[in-house]
Amino acid sequence: MGLYSSFIGRKFKHIAGKKYEDIIKHYREFLLTEEERQIPEINSILMPLDRYVKNVPTEVYETISAYEANILLVYILDSQIFELVRQTLSPEASEEFKRREEMIGEELLNTVAKKLESYGLKVQRRMFFGNKSDDVIRMAENYDMLAISKNYGSEITKTSPISPLVLKIIQHLEIPVIVY
Amino acid sequence: MTPLEIFALAVFIFTYALIISERIHRTVAAMAGGSLVLLANIVPWEKVPLYLDLDTILLLAGMMIIVNTTRLSGLFEYIAIKTAKLAKGDPIRVLLLFSVVTALISAFLDNVTTVLLLTPMLIYISRLMEVTPLPFLLSEIFASNIGGMATLIGDPPNIMIGSAAGLSFSEFLLNMGPIAFLDLILMVFVVYLAYRGTLKVSPEKKERILRTLNNLDERSAIRDLALFRKSIVTIALVVFFFFVHDKLEIEPAVVALFGASLLLFWSRENPEGILEKVEWATLFFFGGLFLIVGGLVETGFIEQIAQWITSFVHNEGEAVLVIAWFSAFASAIIDNIPFTATMIPLIKAMGGSLNTYPLWWALSLGACLGGNGTAIGASANVVVIGIAAREDIRITFMDFLKIGMLIMVLTVGAGVGILWLRYVWW
Repeated sequence: MGLYSSFIGRKFKHIAGKKYEDIIKHYREFLLTEEERQIPEINSILMPLDRYVKNVPTEVYETISAYEANILLVYILDSQIFELVRQTLSPEASEEFKRREEMIGEELLNTVAKKLESYGLKVQRRMFFGNKSDDVIRMAENYDMLAISKNYGSEITKTSPISPLVLKIIQHLEIPVIVY
Repeated sequence: MTPLEIFALAVFIFTYALIISERIHRTVAAMAGGSLVLLANIVPWEKVPLYLDLDTILLLAGMMIIVNTTRLSGLFEYIAIKTAKLAKGDPIRVLLLFSVVTALISAFLDNVTTVLLLTPMLIYISRLMEVTPLPFLLSEIFASNIGGMATLIGDPPNIMIGSAAGLSFSEFLLNMGPIAFLDLILMVFVVYLAYRGTLKVSPEKKERILRTLNNLDERSAIRDLALFRKSIVTIALVVFFFFVHDKLEIEPAVVALFGASLLLFWSRENPEGILEKVEWATLFFFGGLFLIVGGLVETGFIEQIAQWITSFVHNEGEAVLVIAWFSAFASAIIDNIPFTATMIPLIKAMGGSLNTYPLWWALSLGACLGGNGTAIGASANVVVIGIAAREDIRITFMDFLKIGMLIMVLTVGAGVGILWLRYVWW
């Protein structure tokens, strides 16, 4: 640091002191950061669903429809759960459980897809066995935005208002996320 | 020279050197110097109240309380956002509007607080426009020093001059207001000419900037609506009383203290919190300086210098020229507060052979506008350059000197011209 810079720095500290920190803290409360000022281009949206996502609020459909993006609805069935059922009960029980889960999944995918299509959006659907968090993180790399329910992956409670799986997913992503 | 004179002068020079070097806090330097003068009994204890100039110290304290209470309401940030919106993303409008707003606020509040509150907004808006923030930041500095010159309460040198010479708020506004107005126009024009190549944005970009600015809600800056309203009413009342204080025969310090008490009483803010934010260091700095300069007065040193000057200066016209230009160049290098503290007794001592009335205005002109000459000339300069450095915007000493010196010479020249026409020619 040059003589001039250190002189200015010292003098600034003497004159402005903590006052500047207080002022800048207040400004940060209402001025948008450079990152916030960038309007992201959204062409594709990933929307994971599972048995815990009971419904999608109308506000989410309206928000998503503003982007005019291609949407992939993905229903992930937890493969570990079926394996556990198979091992603890029987292969038949596991198959029955799987059939019921697939039915719930199909129904939810159809309902959400129809609603999204009614807003004029292009929707694709997928259902597969996998890991509910790791697969979403992996797939999201190819999408511009993620729209995820706070119930995804587990029930929520008053003390835990957002699913731990959702927290894990959003911590690993760099794309914008809508949590509904 | 007597040993006492030599000691008082040595304390004075040593303190000034410490203040200029900024190696230790200026308040510590002034307090140490003041204590030495008292220890050596150069200024007798019974004369301390005489030299301390309570008018200046209490006026500053009162205004600090008003500003610090008002700051809690978010009024200044509200003004900054409103100004940014009014500028509509046009760099020339930003330059003009922020210069006018800075000058206006600086005329009534202290320059450091003004620039501290407006600079973050200026940097934000220049980043939004994707243009260099340099012209905006420089014009803000110049405008705060010019605006501060316009009134009795705008800049500490004016408070000191007003108190020492018994000049009223209206007299300051009548004498320095027109000069400040002309200088502001001159300054904006020069900055525009110097940076006109960078003050351009395309219409598409302007539309995007406008969209972002419109998303800013000035009401979100208001932290306390009730305090916001009470602050506006109090400031308006204080300004009104400043206008009539001479007719009511009350001191400006009384007006400031009344305003401070009223706002504290009305707002029910915690006085301990507000008083903690009063810049006690600045007030003690003033106290120390007054005592150090008092030492020079007591020893008769100031009287001798005044006699020596008056042997060369034969009339008010020459004195106006010498004081204004000397003050301007001196204030560009050293802090204008200790400089003014030294010049006041000097001008008072010249009163035996000259009419000092125009000389006070020349001192105010030089001391306030001299700060524009260099990057270290005034506290507002250091604050803006310091904030810019924190935001990775480099304003070098030479960057500043090139345009600052030009602005200083032009504005002081215009001011001297007006003073000359008013008090010498006619």
